[in-house]
Amino acid sequence: MASNSTGRFEDQAAAQQRFLSLFLRSEREIFRYVAALVPNVADAEDIVQQAALALWEKFDAYDPNQPFTPWACRFALNKAKQWFERHQRWQALLEGGLAEELAQRREELRPELDARLKHLEDCLNKLPEEQHSLVEGYYYRRETIEKLAASSGRNVAATYKTLQRIRQALQHCIEAAARPEGVVP
Amino acid sequence: MKLDFPSREFDETVAGVCHGAASEEQMRALNELLRSNSSARDEYILRLELHSRLASEPDLFVSTVAEEQGAVRSGGFQPAILPISNLQPLTGSGGAEPPSIARRKRFLPWPQALAACLALLAAGWWGLRLSRPNERKGTTSKAVAMLDRAVDAQWNSRDEAPRLGAPLEPGWLRLKSGLAQLVFYSGARVVIEGPTELELISPGGAFCRNGRLTAEVPPQAKGFRVSSPQMKVTDLGTAFGLDVKERQTELHVFKGTVEFQPAASTAKQSLHEGAGAVADGSRPPRLIKANRAEFAPLFDLQDRSSVAEVLRHEQWRAASSRLDEDSSLLVHFDFEQADKSDWRLPNVSSGKNAAPDATIVGCQWVEGRWPDKHALEFRNVSDRVRLSVPGEFESLTLAAWVRVQGLDRQFNSLFMCDGFEIGTLHWLLRKDGVLGLTIVGPASGKHQIVGSSSVLTLDEFGMWMHLGVVLDGKAKLVTHYVNGVQVSGKPLKKNPPFRIGAAELGNWNASGFPDNDPSLIRNFSGAMDEFCLFSRALRADEIRALYSVGKPQPDPLSQNRN
Repeated sequence: MASNSTGRFEDQAAAQQRFLSLFLRSEREIFRYVAALVPNVADAEDIVQQAALALWEKFDAYDPNQPFTPWACRFALNKAKQWFERHQRWQALLEGGLAEELAQRREELRPELDARLKHLEDCLNKLPEEQHSLVEGYYYRRETIEKLAASSGRNVAATYKTLQRIRQALQHCIEAAARPEGVVP
Repeated sequence: MKLDFPSREFDETVAGVCHGAASEEQMRALNELLRSNSSARDEYILRLELHSRLASEPDLFVSTVAEEQGAVRSGGFQPAILPISNLQPLTGSGGAEPPSIARRKRFLPWPQALAACLALLAAGWWGLRLSRPNERKGTTSKAVAMLDRAVDAQWNSRDEAPRLGAPLEPGWLRLKSGLAQLVFYSGARVVIEGPTELELISPGGAFCRNGRLTAEVPPQAKGFRVSSPQMKVTDLGTAFGLDVKERQTELHVFKGTVEFQPAASTAKQSLHEGAGAVADGSRPPRLIKANRAEFAPLFDLQDRSSVAEVLRHEQWRAASSRLDEDSSLLVHFDFEQADKSDWRLPNVSSGKNAAPDATIVGCQWVEGRWPDKHALEFRNVSDRVRLSVPGEFESLTLAAWVRVQGLDRQFNSLFMCDGFEIGTLHWLLRKDGVLGLTIVGPASGKHQIVGSSSVLTLDEFGMWMHLGVVLDGKAKLVTHYVNGVQVSGKPLKKNPPFRIGAAELGNWNASGFPDNDPSLIRNFSGAMDEFCLFSRALRADEIRALYSVGKPQPDPLSQNRN
């Protein structure tokens, strides 16, 4: 991408900035794309990070007239596949073409998912304080389950269970809110 | 194993997948189900989407976090371009890292090119945006700027209103109206005019979503950056103004040179003094002439803020002279005397039982709550104000405006009666930030010590604050107040009468106890610019009134609350 040797550094820096700006804008999207396949947050972040590297290496080939996110998601899918080839459990989950199928179906469901999840913040704010702070600790502060368990006086299994119930409650809430009558219970 | 849908096993397996805890057997069963049952698959996708949104949208949590932590400190992510933070570990920004990140750091092979690219992240702008939300919580050390001046400032909500002199951590400042001046720790000075929403990002930069600001950037802060949805502005040692509207940003350069980059392009352009540019996101930016008049109110802040301060001082003086009529006011030091060489500190109370004037020993005269208000600063071990208050009382109230500089001693005296005479008082700040009142008993070990919880943190150092304590002998209650708000209320176990006798502000005369015992050195480190002693128990609303008429800047929301 350098036109001459003196301009190379500037060009390189500009390309980096351009890449970062594009990547960071899409990063949440890419993360969610990956998390639809490998939902465990830490693993999904690993995969996104490896995808970022691959994207930067191939950034020369990116056509700026094309939207960045779908281009990036293709890399992310490849990285995810490479990743679960090395992780047998996840291989078992996603084999038989399920990974592609999930990714594709998710794309089709997108408008519906967005319609429901736009109520997530309201629903989150309706949670009782203790539940809210557990969700916040797990998803926002990224505290370990052990620490969350210790501070809530539950054991680890019960803490996982509580998180599951809270997500269930949130799901009921967003679904109720997304129904035509739009009443949040 | 075979999974049915819907079933409890399905719910548990999906949760296990989200937590990374599902077994291989469960995953295999899930795979079979999802490939054969399309409603199970759609349900699965929705559940995972809910989970991944929670993990990737810090904004979902920011509002509540901000409330808990009182305002701007916790700040927030700006939705559109702010990322989750998986590149963060390479920026070397330190801080407590969650285990997943620490782990990732070790085994990722980073090619040279991206490493170089990530060096940019470390340079600040992106790096800070990448920092994890939890890194912006916590103590003063994360602060990037301070609120230096404010005129008629109304903030978005009471919780968000920063106090003058308060350190500001990365996060949003939402000024509804009025003017506020921020000094970034890089040295850059930014004046904002409400309505403006500004996100403090680092000592070297901020993001303005909408509103108007001027920035003055001294040479040491060169490189200071302000961005808007439409452009990024890098200051090269100048003064400039930015007007951010919904779809366009105007940049006006008043002095020196700035570099700007429209959001829609990668090309940077330089603008010199007198020039300006308008960017609206789509077309190339249009060049305009800088218009200083448009920003006049922001340049006038200095003038207007001193007018506002003089006004505030006047209002306090008026309230103060009304207060002096209160017949229960035994002592009122307003520290307003003209002659600073005078060692007398006049008691301005006109109550019939007013105590005699006090004597200043040592101390320095310094600036008080307002630039033309005087205050006494206590710094040395010998600095003190000596006074004497005759009489016996059923109840007493003490109140003072102080600026704490440090808590150097185990006990830092605000007001202490000499020695340990029965029925006398020691009002103090403990080293751990606890406000305490000791009611001296007949013997050592028989005193009643009434402490608040820890009320004074590093954040409060250097700021004017109102402290009060009410000793109510009738209701049998001791109540501590900070800035007009009750911080503790505990039963009083000692019986009246209470006495003052010989006493000191800002120090203690151990009177008969050995001078060389370090626990007996109790000098205060800080300044005081008003002190009141009443021979009755003031009600909570009276304490609040003392605070409101005396606070350095008017209540930002007072007009809204009536």
